[in-house]
Amino acid sequence: MIDDRDKLIAEAVEKGLQGDMDTINGIEDRVIRSKAKAALHKAKKVAKESGTGIEDSKEETASPVDENQSPNQIVFAYLEKKIPGSVIVQEGDLEECIYVNPSSWEAVSKLLRNDEILQFDSLQCITGIDIGEGILESRYNFHSMSLRHTIEIRIPVSIDNPKIYSIEQIWRIGDWFEREVYDMVGIIFEGHRNLKRMLLPDDWEGFPLRKDYETQQTYHGIAIPKVKEEWE
Amino acid sequence: MGVIHGEEMVLNIGPQHPSTHGVLRLKVKTDGEVVSDIYPVIGYLHRSFEKHCENVTYEQVVPYTDRCDYIASMNNNLGYAVTVEELMGIEVPEKVEYIRIIVAEFNRIASHLLALGTYGLDVGAFTPFLYMFRDRERILDMFEMVCGARLLYNYIWVGGVSHDLPKGFVETAYQFLDYFEPQVTEYNNLLTYNKIFVERTADVGVLPPDVAINYGVTGPNLRASGVKWDIRKDEPYSIYDKFDFDVPVGQGELGTIGDCWDRYWVRMREIEESVKILRQALKGLPKDGDVHQAIPKKIRPPKGSIYKRTESPRGDLAYYITSDGKPKPYRLKMRSPAFTSLSVLNKISKGWMLSDVIAILGSLDIVLGEIDR
Amino acid sequence: MTVDLLYDWLNETIPFLSGNDLLLLFAILIPALMLFLVIAVNAIVLVYAERKVSAFMQDRVGPMGQGVGLHAGKWGMLQTIADALKLISKEDIIPKLADRKLFIMAPFIIFVGAFIAVIALPFGESLIVADMNIGIFYILAVSSFGVIGLILAGWSSNNKWSLYGGMRSAAQIISYEIPAGLSLVTVIMLTGTLSMQGIIQYQSGGIFDWIVFSSPFSFIAFIIYFIAGIAETNRTPFDIPEAESELVGGFHTEYSGMRWSFFFLSEYANMLVVNGVAVTAFLGGWQSPISGYFNTAGWGIFWFISKILVLVFVMMWVRWTFPRLRVDQLMDICWKYLLPIALMNIFGVGLWTLIFG
Repeated sequence: MIDDRDKLIAEAVEKGLQGDMDTINGIEDRVIRSKAKAALHKAKKVAKESGTGIEDSKEETASPVDENQSPNQIVFAYLEKKIPGSVIVQEGDLEECIYVNPSSWEAVSKLLRNDEILQFDSLQCITGIDIGEGILESRYNFHSMSLRHTIEIRIPVSIDNPKIYSIEQIWRIGDWFEREVYDMVGIIFEGHRNLKRMLLPDDWEGFPLRKDYETQQTYHGIAIPKVKEEWE
Repeated sequence: MGVIHGEEMVLNIGPQHPSTHGVLRLKVKTDGEVVSDIYPVIGYLHRSFEKHCENVTYEQVVPYTDRCDYIASMNNNLGYAVTVEELMGIEVPEKVEYIRIIVAEFNRIASHLLALGTYGLDVGAFTPFLYMFRDRERILDMFEMVCGARLLYNYIWVGGVSHDLPKGFVETAYQFLDYFEPQVTEYNNLLTYNKIFVERTADVGVLPPDVAINYGVTGPNLRASGVKWDIRKDEPYSIYDKFDFDVPVGQGELGTIGDCWDRYWVRMREIEESVKILRQALKGLPKDGDVHQAIPKKIRPPKGSIYKRTESPRGDLAYYITSDGKPKPYRLKMRSPAFTSLSVLNKISKGWMLSDVIAILGSLDIVLGEIDR
Repeated sequence: MTVDLLYDWLNETIPFLSGNDLLLLFAILIPALMLFLVIAVNAIVLVYAERKVSAFMQDRVGPMGQGVGLHAGKWGMLQTIADALKLISKEDIIPKLADRKLFIMAPFIIFVGAFIAVIALPFGESLIVADMNIGIFYILAVSSFGVIGLILAGWSSNNKWSLYGGMRSAAQIISYEIPAGLSLVTVIMLTGTLSMQGIIQYQSGGIFDWIVFSSPFSFIAFIIYFIAGIAETNRTPFDIPEAESELVGGFHTEYSGMRWSFFFLSEYANMLVVNGVAVTAFLGGWQSPISGYFNTAGWGIFWFISKILVLVFVMMWVRWTFPRLRVDQLMDICWKYLLPIALMNIFGVGLWTLIFG
C-alpha cells in the first residue's frame, strides 16, 4: 500500500517535471495529491538550484503547491507579480483574504478565471458588507474545481461612489450574486447587463444591509413594522 | 414555401402554480409549446433573514436558519453551528458529532425523498409521491421523538444539540433503516426505470459540467453532470472523514451525462449512501456523554470573518459570518445552493417544451425558502 | 327498449291517447331521463371507485366515515354525494373577460357529446335506446363532438392555461380518433355489420367466440382501441390537456362549481362510452362468457356492466401507475406506432378471414 503510494507520487513528480500537471491533478486521494505536489515543488527547487531543466520559473514561485503557505498568500504574491499594484497590502495577515484594488479588478478577475495556475472556475459567493466609516466591501469567495483551492478576495469602495467592475460575464453566477449585493448594500457593478433588484421589489427605497439604513415608514400604503432595538 | 412564424406569447408561471415548488414566478416566452426564453422572478418569500440576523444574538439565529431551507432544517442548523464553532474554536464532544451526523443524514434522506416524490408529481406520476411521503413521514416521526418538532427543528445548537437522543431512538432508527432499504428497489421499479419516466427525463435539460461550474451549481445537480465534488468527502467537516461512503456521479446511463434523469438518479443513489453512513454512525454512537457540555455561556466570536461550506441536500450551503466581537453577528450571509441552481434554469431549458421546463425545474430541486431567504 | 317499442307499448296501454304525438314525446323522454340517471349514477360510482382504487394503490384508505354525526358513511360511501352537494352549492364564477356565451355553452356541449353517445350502447338484448344500423359509426361520430366543447372552453376562458389545454386536447382527441376507428374497422370486417346488436349477435357463444380471441389481429386491435380510448378520455398517461402540474387545470382552469362538475360528469360518461364500445366490439357485449349459462336478460345487464367496470379498473390502474407523456411523444405514439400497426392489422384480418374464414 505504502509502496504503491510512493511509486504513484514518484511517477507523478516525474511527469510534472516534464510539464504535465494532469497526472498530479488526476490523483484521486487528496492526501496523496498534496504530497505529490509538495514533492514536485521540492524537485523543481532542486532542479533550479543545480541549474538543470525547468525554465518555467513563474510556475515555481506561484504554483499553489507549497504546503507552508496558504492559498491566499500564494495568490497574493502571484497577483502582485503579474499585475503590479493590483493588490492592496493591509495590516493583519493574509490568512483571511486578499484586498484587491477596484481599479485593477477587471484584469485580476480575468486572470483568476483563465490563468493556468489559478483556474478559479467557480465563484462561490459574493458578500456585500458595509464595514463602516464610509466603506463598502464586496467579498468574493473563489474556488477551483480543477485544482481544489479556495481564496477570498475583498474589494473596498467608498460609499459615495460604490462602483466595481462587474464579473457577471466571466462567472455567470455573478449575475445573480451581484444583483443581490446591489439589492442589499447598493454596490453598483459597472458593466452588468441587468442590474436590478433581486429579492426586494423594484421600487424599494434604500439598501437594507447598510448600517445607516432607515426602514421606510410605509410601502404602498402598508405600514412596515420597526425592528425592535436591543432585542435580547 | 416560407416558414410560418407565430407570435410569441409570454406565459406567466406562478407565483401560485402547482409545480413551482413554492412561490417562484417564471416569465416564459413561448412559441406554441416551445419555450424560447425563461426569466425567473424571485423574492416573493423574502423574509429578511440576513437583516434579522444582525439584530439577534448568535444563538437566536439558529431558528431562522430552520426557516431558510425548511425541507432540510437539520442540515441548515448543522452548517450554521459548524461555522460559528470554527470561528470561535469550539471543540464539541464526540457524542454530539455523532448525533449531528445521524440527524443530518436522516434529514438528507427525507429531503431527497421529497425532491424525488415531487419530481414524480411534476412529470405526472402521483403514486410514487405518496410512497415516498409515507417513508418520509417515518423520518419525521423520529425527529419528533428527538426534538418534538416535525419540520423546523432548532435542534443543532452552537456547541451541542438541544436534547440528547431519547431512549429507544437507536432501535427505532435501525428498524427504519431495515424497512427502508428494500423500499428503494420499489421506487426504482415504480418510477426510476419506468419507460415513460425515462422518455420524459433522459436527454432532457442537459447541464454540461463546465456550465454547471460557471453557474455555481453544486450538490447533486453538479454531481449529476459528472463532477465529483462533495464537501463531505473533499473538505470534511464535523466527523464525515470517519465514514466510508461513495460519492455517486451521473453516468449518463440512459441518456446524456447531466440530464434530468441523472439528477434524479444521483439523488436516489445518495439516499443509499446516506443509509450507509447512518448504519456506521448508529454503530459508532457513544453511549455516554453530555450533549450540553460544550455549549458556551455566551457566544462572542473574536473579530474576523469566516466562510465555511457544508453539504446540504441541495449542494454547497455556506455561511459567511463577520464578527465584530459583539454578541450579534456584524454581517451574516447565507450562500444558498438552490439560489445558484435556479440561476442556470434559463440556460438549460431554452428550446425545450413547456412540459420539459417543468421537468427541468423539478430536477433542480429548489426550495424557495432558501432562495429568497 | 328502443323508442319504437316503447311507443307501441304506450299505444296499447293508453288506448285513448293512441296515435297522439304526446306519446311519442313520452317515449323519447322516458329513456332520456333514464340515461341521465345512468350517467349520474355512473359518475357517482366511478368517482367513488377511483378514490378507493387510487387509495389502495397508494397505501392509503381513501374516504372513510367513522363514529357518529355528519360523516361520509361507512367506508366513505357517501363521499361522492357529499362532493356533488358541495359542487352544487359552490359559487358560479364567470371571469369578467371571458366570452360569456361560449363559456356557459362549453360544458354542456361536452356533456351532450357524451350523452348522445350513450343512447347507442346496448345494455342488454332489448335494452338499447336506439339500435341503429350504423350504431358503431354513430358513436365514433358523436364522441368527437365533445372536442368542440373542449376547444370552446379553452378559448372562451380567456386564460392562457385554458388555451393550451384546449389546443392540446383538440390535437390529441382528433389524432386518436383515427387508430380507434381503424381498429374498429377490423371488427366491422369480421362481423359485416355496423349495428351494435349485430356485432354482439356475431359473438354469441362462449368466451372464445368473442372477437378479441378470434384472431391475433383482433387482439391487437383491442389493445390499440383501448390505448386510444384512454387518450380520448384524457386520462393519465395521456392527460396532457389538463396536466395539473403543467397547465394548472388545462381547459377547465376557470370553471367552478356545477359547470366544472359537468366536465367531470362527461369525463366519466366518456369512460362509460369508450369502454362500452370496447366491450361491445371485442368482449361480447352482454353475452355470458360461458356458453348457454347465465344468458337471461338480467344477467345480460350484469355482464355488460361488469365487463365495463373491469376495463374501467384497468384504466384507473394505468392512471395511478404511469407518469404523463409529453405532447410530442403523445403524437409520436399515435402517428408513428398506433396508426401503422392499425393499418397493418386491417390487412392482417383480411388475410386471416380469407384463409381461415
